Amino acid sequence: MLLAKTLTSSTFRLALIAIGTFGVIVSAIFSYVYLSTSAYVRSRSDRAIVTEYLSLKSAYERSGRDGLIALIEERTADGSFADNVYALADPSLVTLAGNLKIWPSTATAAEGWIEFRAGEPSPNAANRPLLRAMLGTFPSRDRLLVGKDISELDGFADQIKTAVISGIVLIFLLAGVASILVTRRTVGRIESINATSRAIMQSGLDQRIPLRGTHDEWDRVAENLNQMLNRIETLMGEVRQVSDNVAHDLRTPLTRMRGRLEKAYHGQRISADDQALIGDTITDLDAVLRIFSSLTRIAQIETQARKGAFRTVNLAEIAGEVVELYDAAAEQVGTHLTVVGDREALVTGDRDLIFDAIANLVDNAIKHGRTGGQVVVANENIDGKPVISIADDGPGIPAHEYEQVFKRFYRLEKRSGAQPGRGRRPSSRRADRNAR
Amino acid sequence: MTGGHRRILVVEDDPETADQLVESLKTSGYQVDLATSGNEALSRGATGDYAVITIDRMLPDIDGIAVMRRFRDDGIAAPVLIVSALGEVDDRVRGLRAGGDDYLVKPFSFVELLARVEALGRRSDTIVKETILRVGDLALDLMSRTASRRGKDIVLFPREFQLLEYLVRNEGRVVSRAMLLQHVWDLHFDPSTNIIDVYVGRVRRKVDGQQAYPLIHTVRGTGYCLRAPG
Repeated sequence: MLLAKTLTSSTFRLALIAIGTFGVIVSAIFSYVYLSTSAYVRSRSDRAIVTEYLSLKSAYERSGRDGLIALIEERTADGSFADNVYALADPSLVTLAGNLKIWPSTATAAEGWIEFRAGEPSPNAANRPLLRAMLGTFPSRDRLLVGKDISELDGFADQIKTAVISGIVLIFLLAGVASILVTRRTVGRIESINATSRAIMQSGLDQRIPLRGTHDEWDRVAENLNQMLNRIETLMGEVRQVSDNVAHDLRTPLTRMRGRLEKAYHGQRISADDQALIGDTITDLDAVLRIFSSLTRIAQIETQARKGAFRTVNLAEIAGEVVELYDAAAEQVGTHLTVVGDREALVTGDRDLIFDAIANLVDNAIKHGRTGGQVVVANENIDGKPVISIADDGPGIPAHEYEQVFKRFYRLEKRSGAQPGRGRRPSSRRADRNAR
Repeated sequence: MTGGHRRILVVEDDPETADQLVESLKTSGYQVDLATSGNEALSRGATGDYAVITIDRMLPDIDGIAVMRRFRDDGIAAPVLIVSALGEVDDRVRGLRAGGDDYLVKPFSFVELLARVEALGRRSDTIVKETILRVGDLALDLMSRTASRRGKDIVLFPREFQLLEYLVRNEGRVVSRAMLLQHVWDLHFDPSTNIIDVYVGRVRRKVDGQQAYPLIHTVRGTGYCLRAPG
């Protein structure tokens, strides 16, 4: 999971670009070192060959073919020239002198440089020494070959080549591993921020991004985000405080008002009409108060202010109690209300809110389900998490309204006299909040 | 509640609400003392022998909860009904935890307040250790959890029995829907549907159906009252 995220992260892509660029530069430098080293080694050996060639050539010019033959024989006999190869051939390429008995078949040019393997051609050519030689043709058309065994030089160049290539491979490998590790660290930090953000979205503003105490840029990002969350939490709290204050300030005059109305209602000298009027006013006033309570409750739920009342509760038991309470109402409209599933589903939550949420949904299901239909409240444990579902066999919610029903106070059809706060949205939200 | 023990202490700082409270309690036959601040409540509470004390949570000098704590510390055992404009569960829980016996949220109906005061007053009487409760021809056997009228068994679900028991224990007194929710279902909110009425309706059909006289009566706008005729 983390590895997949690492490999697809932009940090890793940047690292790859850096590795690529760096690799090309390193390869170029190493190749230059290799080429110039081998060229230098080769040029030193070539200079020695040229010097030797020129000294033999001047011997030929001075004392003719026989003089040169004598000199070549002298050289081949001398141990200090053991690395050198010599061959003097007549125009028909028959060797006259030198330690190379057969004129190499590749040495056809009149003059110039050749490289060839000494001795007879055989399958294991690599075992035969590699020779490099300078060719020349005298005016008499006799031909001279002066060369050196460069097997060692070649081996040295090969070693440099191997070192350079393995160096480059190692660098790429290390850079690759390092970039994965660095990216993982970065992705890990971002993931922890993401995880906290998701937790905040799901369960509220009380979570904070953990700091590592390294005071690096990630810690600073986390610190700033945490400060932002503190601020948001404070603001939400202030909003709630305001609504609490408004609620409190309104309650006192409303209590007086209700008291007066009640007094008038029970008064001795009022007509039946007046009494009915006052009775209706009290009913409406109570409805206003309920809407008001619904609003403050929703505000409290959304600001998580009720967490103080959270404790471990058995969802299945609450569901059973709701079903028991609504049994009579279901019976009245001929609906079969049942509770099925697990007997125990423990969650941390507010019993009243969970009860209210399930009750809301059951109430809705009974009211909007099929007359004489079924309403089933099911408790399940899915992936170790308690899930409660309330299903009716009525017409259901049209697919295009699925999202809408989660909106506050949304209802599928407008019903006169319906009270806000009884729609599905608060219940769904509360169910969501509480059932963790 | 005996006639000599119908004194109530009302602690309320809002003059008009206080007047209304005092008047409605007096009309119901209580002697009422009024305290308009926490300090006054403390001095009155220390001297008077009250059946019930109602305390407003938001007082000008001392918080209602603090007053109640002082009462408890001073050994005043009278049941306390907290009346508060702070209606949410946390406040309620805090109030009850601090030693309150019941909680009523402003604005309230006076009938509701009276019902709760009556219920609290009854609690302060000696607890009767009976195993069979009787009202008229209704008998509730608390041991076997069965109900019968004129010897004929009434089939009740456990919760229905609990509801009937609560009504019987408050015989002759008005019991509000909120009180039923609180004492029978342990719920501290108003589901604001007619669900309680429907539930009581079913119990009533079982208890009063085809009987000589009804026992469960609806009190319009408030709740229910269980009483035998005469």
